[in-house]
Amino acid sequence: MRPLDEKETTLVFDKLYKLVGNNLQKIVMENPSYEGPDPNPGRYCFRLQKNRVYYVSESLVKRATNIKREKLVAMGTQIGKFTKGDKFHLTIQGLNLLAANAKHKVWLKPTSEMSFLYGNSVLKGGVGRITENIQVNDGVVVYSMADVPLGFGVAAKSTQDCRKMDPNGIVVHHHADIGEYLRMEDEL
Amino acid sequence: MAQSEYEIDLGNLMAFDPHRQFPSTSSSREELVKEAIEQGTKLVQAVADALFNLPSTEDRDGPIVKLPAPSTKLPREKPLPKPRPPTNWELFAQKKGIQKHKKDKLAFDEQTGTWKRRHGYDRVNDDKDIPIIEAKMTDEPGTDPFAERRKEKKGRVDKQERNRLQNLKQAAKVGALPSHVQLAATALPITGTQAMPRKVSKDELQNVAGMASTATASGGKFDKKLPGEKPPKHEKKYRKFLPAAEGSGMGALEKQQTEKVLNKLISKNSHNVLNVEKAVNMYNVKKDKKRKNNEGKPSTRSKLKPNKKSLKKSSKRVSSNKGK
Repeated sequence: MRPLDEKETTLVFDKLYKLVGNNLQKIVMENPSYEGPDPNPGRYCFRLQKNRVYYVSESLVKRATNIKREKLVAMGTQIGKFTKGDKFHLTIQGLNLLAANAKHKVWLKPTSEMSFLYGNSVLKGGVGRITENIQVNDGVVVYSMADVPLGFGVAAKSTQDCRKMDPNGIVVHHHADIGEYLRMEDEL
Repeated sequence: MAQSEYEIDLGNLMAFDPHRQFPSTSSSREELVKEAIEQGTKLVQAVADALFNLPSTEDRDGPIVKLPAPSTKLPREKPLPKPRPPTNWELFAQKKGIQKHKKDKLAFDEQTGTWKRRHGYDRVNDDKDIPIIEAKMTDEPGTDPFAERRKEKKGRVDKQERNRLQNLKQAAKVGALPSHVQLAATALPITGTQAMPRKVSKDELQNVAGMASTATASGGKFDKKLPGEKPPKHEKKYRKFLPAAEGSGMGALEKQQTEKVLNKLISKNSHNVLNVEKAVNMYNVKKDKKRKNNEGKPSTRSKLKPNKKSLKKSSKRVSSNKGK
């Protein structure tokens, strides 16, 4: 386990910013953590183990240093991993964190929820609601109509264009969904 | 310099001018330098002439000349060797007046009655050749006299070895170890003088070998590997990371770094904070609402007043010029 170095931190924050915007400040610096025995809330930090990035509270990190590096599997919440080519991808385990701080949201109709959970992109016909001012290539969190976060992706069209589109056009490219917990259990 | 008989020592490629007089020094440094170079060229010319006069053999790269032995006596590089202190036996022999006598290689063996060599294979007085040892009165029954002899011999040999080492230690204390022993000095357990030089471990040797192999101009990348040489253990640089848990988990250094990155990111995207289109839309909507309210009131107030509606197109929409 080690903290991220500067290049890695920039990559991670860039990806997070696309989804979360200025709430990144809240996530990185001002999120109080009531996790440990300490009565004062601690803070959260990012740690790298193997090539996965975890969002852990500081008190947990201190205790995790007692475990051998080879034996430590995971800690806190995993938010993403680094690929062999040193690129950073967000993974589904960070959905709770992202959904709580998302800037742009899309709500899906019940009929197209399953399609998204199988890994397909969101079509215009499946969109129930959509926040204003989404630009192309913005990060978007996908919800069901009952406000359950289903996953996240990248906007293919802006909100304006989305209104004029035909019902079979792609609105959100799929990146991750909670169906992956069942489909891709081994790869998570 | 009429008598230009320089003493030339080809073994050291040296030329010496014994007749050089040093006139009063010229005032400027440049003149001195010029004079020195002039004299130097003459001497070098003399060396070159002598070189080319030597018999040469032809080679691929040109004529090769074998230089004679140097004739100049250079001073000693190392100090004179110290005299060895006399050993115990030497002292005793001196006291008693025992002279050293040269021994012959062959000696007459009483046992077999032949001339055998003194040491080595088939030697005089070998224990193997004794068939019978007569028992003495002092001998206990059950003891093996042959084994006794062997034990005694071993004792004598060990004693001699100890004495030899002791003599070497004495010599080493003074600093007069014989030259062939100096290199194997690590085997001598010299106590009391200095710390014994440690044996280099395998890891240390590997480290040093790695350092040596990369200590070339191109970092050892293009050197041919010897047969059996393994690739270096850690080829790349060691990277340095921030500590995983400094003090209270997220230490000062890490905080600094994350803050830095965060600020950079936010400042890069600060132009996105104000959504110009949205602001423009809101402004237009507000303006329309205000106009609608204002127009509603005057029309109900007076029917006599002429309709002051201007015929010009008054709906001036603020055009947004979003510079993309």
